[in-house]
Amino acid sequence: MNSGEKQTPATLWPALAGTALTIVYVILLLKVESQTEVIGLLVVGALAILATSWSGHLARAGQALTHHESILHLLVIFGALVIIGFFREDHFTLLLLTTVMLYVLATLGLNLQFGYAGVLNFAGASFFGIGGYTAAVLGAHTPVPDLLIILAGGVMAALIGSILLLPVLRTRGHYAAVVTIAFALLFKVFLEVNDILGGPQGLQVPGMEMFGWKFNNNIEIGALELSFYVNYLIVILLVLIAAFALVRRLERSWVGLNLDALRLDETAATCFGLNIVRWKVTAFLLGNFLIGIAGALSGMVIGFVAPTSFTFADSLILVSIVLLGGIGNVWGLVLATAIVVIIPEKLQAIQEYRFLLYAAMVMLMLLFRPEGLLPRPVRHYFPGWRPK
Amino acid sequence: MKRVSLLAALAFGATIALSASSSDTVFAKDKVKVGFVGPLTGGVSANGIGGRNSADLAVRLRNKDPKAKYEYELIVQDDECKPNIGVQAATKVAADKKVVAAATHYCSAVAIATVDTYHKFGLPVVVWGAVLPAITYGNDYKEVHRVNGTMINQNQTAAKFMRDLGYKTWAVIHDTTDYGKGHNKFFSENLKKNGGEILATFGVTADQQDFTAELTKIKELNPDVIYFGGLTPIGVRVRAQMDKLGVDSLFQGTSGIVSDAFIKGAGDLGEGIVAFREGAPTAKLPGGKFFLEKYGAEKYDNPPEAYGAFAFAAMNLILDTIEKEGPDRKKVRAALNGTKGRDSIVGEISFDDHGQNTVALITKYVIQDGKWTVWEDSEYASGKRKLARQK
Amino acid sequence: MDIGFLAQYLMNGLMLGMIYALVAVGFTLFFGVLDVIKFSHGDVLTVGAFAGLATFLGLEAAGISHPAIQILIVVIVSIVLIAALGAVIARTIVLPIRSAPPLNTLLITLMLGTVLREAVRLFYPQGANPQPFPALLPTNSLTLGNFNLRLDNVIMLVAGVAVIVGTQLLLNRTKLGLAIRAVAQDEETARTMGVNFTLIVLITFALGSGLAAFAGLMNGLYYNEINFGMGLLLGAIGFSSAIVGGLGNIYGAILGGFLFAGLQTIGAVALPFASAYKDVFAFGVIIAIMAWRPTGLIQEKISERV
Repeated sequence: MNSGEKQTPATLWPALAGTALTIVYVILLLKVESQTEVIGLLVVGALAILATSWSGHLARAGQALTHHESILHLLVIFGALVIIGFFREDHFTLLLLTTVMLYVLATLGLNLQFGYAGVLNFAGASFFGIGGYTAAVLGAHTPVPDLLIILAGGVMAALIGSILLLPVLRTRGHYAAVVTIAFALLFKVFLEVNDILGGPQGLQVPGMEMFGWKFNNNIEIGALELSFYVNYLIVILLVLIAAFALVRRLERSWVGLNLDALRLDETAATCFGLNIVRWKVTAFLLGNFLIGIAGALSGMVIGFVAPTSFTFADSLILVSIVLLGGIGNVWGLVLATAIVVIIPEKLQAIQEYRFLLYAAMVMLMLLFRPEGLLPRPVRHYFPGWRPK
Repeated sequence: MKRVSLLAALAFGATIALSASSSDTVFAKDKVKVGFVGPLTGGVSANGIGGRNSADLAVRLRNKDPKAKYEYELIVQDDECKPNIGVQAATKVAADKKVVAAATHYCSAVAIATVDTYHKFGLPVVVWGAVLPAITYGNDYKEVHRVNGTMINQNQTAAKFMRDLGYKTWAVIHDTTDYGKGHNKFFSENLKKNGGEILATFGVTADQQDFTAELTKIKELNPDVIYFGGLTPIGVRVRAQMDKLGVDSLFQGTSGIVSDAFIKGAGDLGEGIVAFREGAPTAKLPGGKFFLEKYGAEKYDNPPEAYGAFAFAAMNLILDTIEKEGPDRKKVRAALNGTKGRDSIVGEISFDDHGQNTVALITKYVIQDGKWTVWEDSEYASGKRKLARQK
Repeated sequence: MDIGFLAQYLMNGLMLGMIYALVAVGFTLFFGVLDVIKFSHGDVLTVGAFAGLATFLGLEAAGISHPAIQILIVVIVSIVLIAALGAVIARTIVLPIRSAPPLNTLLITLMLGTVLREAVRLFYPQGANPQPFPALLPTNSLTLGNFNLRLDNVIMLVAGVAVIVGTQLLLNRTKLGLAIRAVAQDEETARTMGVNFTLIVLITFALGSGLAAFAGLMNGLYYNEINFGMGLLLGAIGFSSAIVGGLGNIYGAILGGFLFAGLQTIGAVALPFASAYKDVFAFGVIIAIMAWRPTGLIQEKISERV
C-alpha cells in the first residue's frame, strides 16, 4: 500500500463524505421500486466503487477510517439510525434491515470459527435454528424474561454444538466439513419428523416484551407512528454492537493471536506450546453462541420458526457471506450480507432468476477477486503502530 | 357548520373535477393494488403458477371492463411452499398499505403460518387452495376467508366411498407437513367410523426420494389400498416405486395429487388411481367453460391446474367487493365476512362465521386413459374396468 | 422375517448403495488429483439425467423407438456430454483458482451447483416439475416368494459393478491410470516425470463427471422420475460417503456408499422408531464414525507433511 508511506494521518473528510453518500445510496436503493431504477442504482454503485478505487479515493477513505476506528464505528451506528429513522413506517424495509443485521450477527459467529480459528462450520443455519426454537419453546411455555431467552438461545446453540466437539476436534479440513454437513442435514430432518417441535410446520414464537413494553405494537409518539419493527431494530442494533465489540476485542487480543497461529499452522502452534484444543473449543462454542442469539432474535422478529428456514442450503448462504466478505474481516461481513440479502429482494423483475444470478455473481467474484470484497487487513501489533 | 360547508365545497369541487375528466375521452381511473401469494417455485409450482395466471386473468378481465371503477394492479409474491418464506411474502403484501386485499396460498403449511400476519396488518385475504381446516377454523380472525373446501369433507367422502367399494385394509403414507398430517388424521378417523382397518402409517419428509424401504414393509403387510396424503412430487415417486417392488395395492390419493403434473409424472402407472377433491372439475363448474375459454384466450404458458378456478373465483370476489365498498381494507373485510350466496364460477359462495365457504360438494376422481375423470363418468363406475384389487 | 423380504431389502439397499458409490467415487477422484472438493458434483449428476431424458425425447421424436438402441444412445450421449462438461468446469472454474484457499474452490463449485440446478429448473421445459423418466430396460420380473426380482434392476447392478471395476482397472492397469495416480500422489514429481498435469486433471474430471452422469441415468431408470433438486442431497450423501470411506481411496468411496445405503435401510426397517428418522440415524452414525476414525474408515496412507 503506497499511501501507507504518508506520515500524517489521512484527512477524514473524504471518509465522511463517503459515509454520507453511502447512507444516501442505501436509502435510495431501499426506497426505489421500479426495476429500471434499481438496476440503474446498482450500476451507478458499481461504477462509483470502480471509479473511486481507481482514483485512489476509496483506499484513502478506507485508510483514514482504519486510523480513526472509533469514528468509523460512530459513523456506522449513526448511519444505521438514519436509515432506520428514514424508513420508520415502512414495515417491509425494516424487516429487511433486521434480516441483514441478524445475518451479520450470525456470520460474526461463523467468522470467529473459521475466519479466526479455522474451524469449518457448515451447520450455521442449524445453530441459528436452535436459537429460534429455544425462543419458541421458552417464550410459549415459560415465564422466562425475553432478555434471558435470547441468551438461552445462544447457550442452547453452544450446548448442542458441543455434541459435535469430539468429531470436530479430531478431524481436519474436508473431514471436519463432513461432520457439520451431516449435522446440518440431520438437524433439518429431525425437526421435520419431530412432532413435539411442530414438525415441518414449525412453531409460533411470541413477540418480545420488555418491562411491560410489547414489541409487536407500533410505537406512537404524539402524531408520529413508528413501525413495531423499530423496537426490534434498536434491540438488535444494541446486541450487534456488543457482539461486534466482543469479536473485535478478541481479534485484537492475545486470544486472537493464538487463533491466528493455530489456523495458519496447527503443528507449529503446538510446537510453541499453544493449547490447540482449548482455542478451537472456545472459538466453536462462542461462534455458535452468537449464531444462536441471532437465531433467537430472528425467531422473535418473524414470529415463526420452521425447519425449512434452517436447511443445508441456508447454511451454505451463511458460509458464502463470510467468504464473499473476505474471510476474517468483520466489515466485509456487513457489506456481503447487505449484498446477499438486499439485492435479490430488490430485483423482483428477475424474481425466478435471482438465485441463478446471485450464484453466477459469486462465481465471478471468486474468479476475479478470490480474496473476497474486503480482505482482512494485516494485523497491527501495537496500538498506534502503523506499517511504515 | 363550517366544516360541513367546507366538505360540501370539496365534494362539489371534486364532482366538477370528475365530470370534467370523465368528459374527456380518457378517463383516468384510480389505481388499486390487490395481491396474490402462492408457490411459484419448487415442487408444486405448477399449481401456484396456474393459480397466479387465473388470478391475473380475473384482474385483466376486470381492467378491460369499461364499467369497472378502478384500475387494478396485481402484486404477486412467491411463498415457495415454505412457511418461513410465506411469512415474509405475506408481510410484504400486507405491509404495503396500497394493497387492499389478496388471494393467498396453495400450501396449507404456509397458509396456517401466515394467518397471524394478515391479522396483524389487517389485510383481508381469501385463501384459494389450501385445505387444512385450521386455517379458517383454528382462529377467530376476521381477515381470513376461504373459497375452497377443507380436507375434512374430502376425507369423509373418501373413507365412505372406498369402504363401499369393498376395500378393507389400508396402509397410510403421508408427508409430515400439516397437509399430510391433517389428511392422515381425518382419513384415519373417518375410516374407523366406516369399519376399515389401517395396518401401518408412515410419515415421510416432503423431499424424500426413496420409498423402497417403506413400500417393502407395506408389501409385507399386504393392504388392499395405499392411502397417500401428500402433494404431487412424492406421490409420483411412491407410485413409481410401488411398481418396482411389485406392490399391487390400489393407490388412493388426496386433492394434492389432482393435477396434470401428476398424470404426466406417473405416466401409464397413473391408470386407475383414485383421488378426491372439493368442488367440481373446472369444466363442469357453473362458469367453468367461460373460465377455460378466457384462460385459453390469454395464452398463458401453463394450464390453470386443479385450483386455478378457485384462484379466479377468490380474486373475482375480492374485485367485486372492492368495486362495491371502495379500496378500504376495513370495509372490504366487513363486506367479505358477510358474503352470502354470491355467484361465482365455482358455484355459490357463502362464508360461515369463520370465513369458510360452506360448499360441501366433493368430487371423486379416477385416472382413466391419462385424464382425471369424474368417477361417475368413468368406465370404472360402469364396471367396464376394474380398480386394483377391486372385488 | 421372511427370507423373500430380506432379499428385497437387500436388493433395495444394493441399488441405493450403487448410486451413492458411483457419486462418491467421483468425489474421491477429484480430491485425489487436485485436493479439492467439487461440490457441484451432485448437480452435474442432475444435468446428466436431464441430458439423458432430452436425448430420449429427441430419439422418440426422430422415430427411433427400439429400446436397446435408445438406451445405448441415451447412455453414450449423456456420458459424453457430461464428461465434456466436467472437463470444461475443471478448465474454467477449478484450475484457475487453484492457488486460492481450498474453501474458495468449495464455494465456487457450490455456486456452480446452484447455477446448474437453477438452470435446469428454469430452462428445461417445465423443469420445476418432476419429470417422468422412461423405463428403457426390460421390466420382466421374477417372483421368488415375496421377492420381486426385476430384470432392469439386475442389469443396472451389473452395469454399476462393471463401471466401478472398469474405473478401478483404468486407474491401476493403464498408463493413463498411472499418470492419474502419479498426479494424485505428488504433482511436482509427476510434472518432472513428463506427465501433462493439466491434461490429466481434465481427464480425471471428465471421468468423474461421466460416472456422475451414469449414476444420474441409473437414478432415473430406477426411480422413473427425475427432478431438478435431486442432485443436492445425492451430492451431500456422496460426499459424506467418500469422506467416511476415506478420501482419495476408491475402495473407501464404495464402502462409504454402501454403508450409507445400509444405514438408511436399517434405519427405516429394523429400528423401533418411525421410518422418517432413517436419515437422522444414518447421519448420526456418520458423525459418530468421524469421531472414531477422523480420517475415514480406510485411512490415507500418506502421513502429514510438516
